[in-house]
Amino acid sequence: MAVNTETAYPVTWKNGRVASWLVTVDHKRIGIMYILTALVFFAGGGVAALLMRAQLATPDEHILTKNSYNEVLTFHGTSMIFLVVVPILAGFANYLVPLMIGARDMAFPRLNAFSYWAYLLGGIVLYSGWFASGGGARAGWWSYPTLSEPRYSPGHGQDYWILALHILTISSLAGAINFIVTIQNMRTRGMTWMRMPLFIWAIETYAILLVVVLPALSAGLTMLLLDRRGYTHFFLPNQGGSQVLYQHVFWFFGHPEVYIMVLPVFGMISEIIPVFSRKPIFGYKAVAFSTLGIAFFSLLVWAHHMFTAGLGVGLDSFFMISSMIIAVPTGVKILNWIATTWRGNLRLDTPMLFALGFIALFTMGGLSGIFLAAFPIDWQVNDTYYVVAHLHYVLFGGSIMGIFAGLYYWWPKMFGRMLDERLGKWHFWLTFVGFNLTFLPQHMLGLLGMVRRIYTYHHGGLWEAYNMISTIGSGIMAAGMLVFAVNIWRTQVRHLGERAVNDPWLADTLEWYTTSPPPIYNFDTVPYVTSARPLRDLRRQLAEEPA
Amino acid sequence: MRRKLTFGVVALTALATAGVAAAANGGFTPETPHSPNAHNTNTAYYVVLGFTAAIFLLVEGALVYFIWRYRGRNRARTEEGPQLHGQTRLEIGWTVLPVVILAIIGTVIFIELPGISNAPASTNPIRITVVGHQFYWEFEYPNGTRSINELHAPVDQVVDLAVRSGDVVHSWYIPQLGGKIQAIPGRTNHTWFKADSIGTYYGQCAELCGIFHEAMAARVIVTSSADYTTYTSRTAAAALGKTEFTGVCATCHGMQGNGGYGPVISSNAQITDPKTLTPLLRNGNKNMPPVGDTWTPAQIKALTEYAKAHIYKGASTSGG
Repeated sequence: MAVNTETAYPVTWKNGRVASWLVTVDHKRIGIMYILTALVFFAGGGVAALLMRAQLATPDEHILTKNSYNEVLTFHGTSMIFLVVVPILAGFANYLVPLMIGARDMAFPRLNAFSYWAYLLGGIVLYSGWFASGGGARAGWWSYPTLSEPRYSPGHGQDYWILALHILTISSLAGAINFIVTIQNMRTRGMTWMRMPLFIWAIETYAILLVVVLPALSAGLTMLLLDRRGYTHFFLPNQGGSQVLYQHVFWFFGHPEVYIMVLPVFGMISEIIPVFSRKPIFGYKAVAFSTLGIAFFSLLVWAHHMFTAGLGVGLDSFFMISSMIIAVPTGVKILNWIATTWRGNLRLDTPMLFALGFIALFTMGGLSGIFLAAFPIDWQVNDTYYVVAHLHYVLFGGSIMGIFAGLYYWWPKMFGRMLDERLGKWHFWLTFVGFNLTFLPQHMLGLLGMVRRIYTYHHGGLWEAYNMISTIGSGIMAAGMLVFAVNIWRTQVRHLGERAVNDPWLADTLEWYTTSPPPIYNFDTVPYVTSARPLRDLRRQLAEEPA
Repeated sequence: MRRKLTFGVVALTALATAGVAAAANGGFTPETPHSPNAHNTNTAYYVVLGFTAAIFLLVEGALVYFIWRYRGRNRARTEEGPQLHGQTRLEIGWTVLPVVILAIIGTVIFIELPGISNAPASTNPIRITVVGHQFYWEFEYPNGTRSINELHAPVDQVVDLAVRSGDVVHSWYIPQLGGKIQAIPGRTNHTWFKADSIGTYYGQCAELCGIFHEAMAARVIVTSSADYTTYTSRTAAAALGKTEFTGVCATCHGMQGNGGYGPVISSNAQITDPKTLTPLLRNGNKNMPPVGDTWTPAQIKALTEYAKAHIYKGASTSGG
């Protein structure tokens, strides 16, 4: 099986080394471009985060000005969400969906290429905002009117921000439709819904959610743009508009977006935990259907971001109950993952470390979410650092930790070389420790009354102590990211990474059936799928056959 | 070995932090409440904390124990664990149990809710209007008196706040006197407090409202009923010009009007003349928000008189 097909099936370089990437419609190359681009944007958003932490390390600091602090916080939030987490997950999905379902490529390869280039363009437009007249957008990632209206945000930064999000929305929408069509129609023989890898379940759900909620964002952004440049007044109350309308429209998109950013990661974790526990996933159906449950309820919880808008106790109660219900399918997943490790043969390689770290941190983020769902408590902690801590436990401790698990797990498949385990472990521990140092004290800061998005503070004592710990933690995390960069450089540039065999982890799913990296057409043949773990079935067959 | 070392470092840091935190209120619970709504919020917080802490210990404990207990050690990767595909009864159990816990938490919230959202019955609550502005808080008392950034209230009386905004979204937040409520343009939201002791309570705007968001601090000064009456009938009006300058103008133009984010105004005669200052306060200009769009002529007069007496230094060399 371990035939090196690289020489047998050379990549067609007819358009040259660079050009072949520019014109490619191969899902694997598009996936890799997505992932690498998102990693570059991750560095950009990370620098913004470090600048904010440096500014907040001690009281009355002057590293950033007030204006640039607001620009930086807007840029950090927007780019981490729209340029990093969502697209890197689209990258994984692009790379893995056809391979996992035994297909030749995505259903619409050209549309797929379009999605990527639209994403890159959106990123460039967002970055261009820094050079707009009047400076970059500085109304925060949710850009509430009337602050984002021209009266209070003159200049073109906000317009660049709207344009960038519009472009990114188109990119995501095209990608989502592509995933749905591919998964519905192109699964290999024998791969029924109940034999689909859980990652595919997650991507199907992620794509459906994107299709449902992105139009709401587009509508909100279009109205905002018309307000700004078309003299309408959708959100201007003194001319008959409603600011609360924007809050509803934005969060109808904004909350499902959180699940859009975490469901595919749930999928990755559901692949990685069983492989490194040497066991099947505990409760396949529960994990698959809880994904759908989370997606459904995620459409009914948006106003928990608006508990302080004064919607009334009736509405607040509804959104509290729906937000609490969503904790149930999420809890089911966590318990199923932990049960999967029970009595396993746990391989604590780097992907597994990140996956276990994900469970530990995401659980914490889920539990702090219960305080926020209980709206009277939310009235106290909303818009403080408590929320900042919570959302980072979910989005960094959750999404980003899971994404690193995925990167270490699938890197050998994508690039044909194993990332270094020793550096990988350094990367994990620096990230894990740095993360907790950064964000654990922020819960306390929030309860002490430190509100979000202030560029400085005047209290010494505990405020200063917690902020200083947080800043030190962010530095440790940054060191972890540098180790990761060194690992990539060592593996891919210096070619010191060990060559990967087809299936280095003894995994369960079809992408490990082909070579590492796979040939352009993916598979010579695809085995008939008789369970959710076709590769394990194959290994067992081979073991049973007489030599 | 390295892992043990890391654990050690983490544990030490955690201990050190806990030590520092225990020395003060710590930030492990919301701040000491001084109003019934804040008090009930804290009770709800403790209940949720109890349940979540127990779940946290159980789940993370199981995770850490399984990692330690079932780690691969010297076993080969090919060695598989038992091929368990699930256990329906167990899974139903851990689906139902969270539902029960959440139902209990929800019930506690609903029990605490009336004490948080509804002001206690009172024959004459004091109704004060709070208006969020870029970048200050303006308060209007029942007798029409106004004050800036500093809200005076009598102890042990229900104060009903009608919260509004004239420009962008702000959020009213005094941690010790209850939760936040947004000040949304075009809308009036209500919140309340009933301070249980004399003192000063601090808070600040909690919704990003522009460049000086951080400077939008508020103080609630709770006094005896008699002092409150004195304040609203005399002191507030006398101090208005000064508080307007220091709370509104000085944020951008400096405490002496010598400029900062905004231009120097101490040499600009416009600040001494209500006729020329009124349009600017009402409408703002390029970078200046319409800070005085809700101000009465008396308020503007108080400002110009204060400026004339204390800020205006004559049309000097620095221009204006």
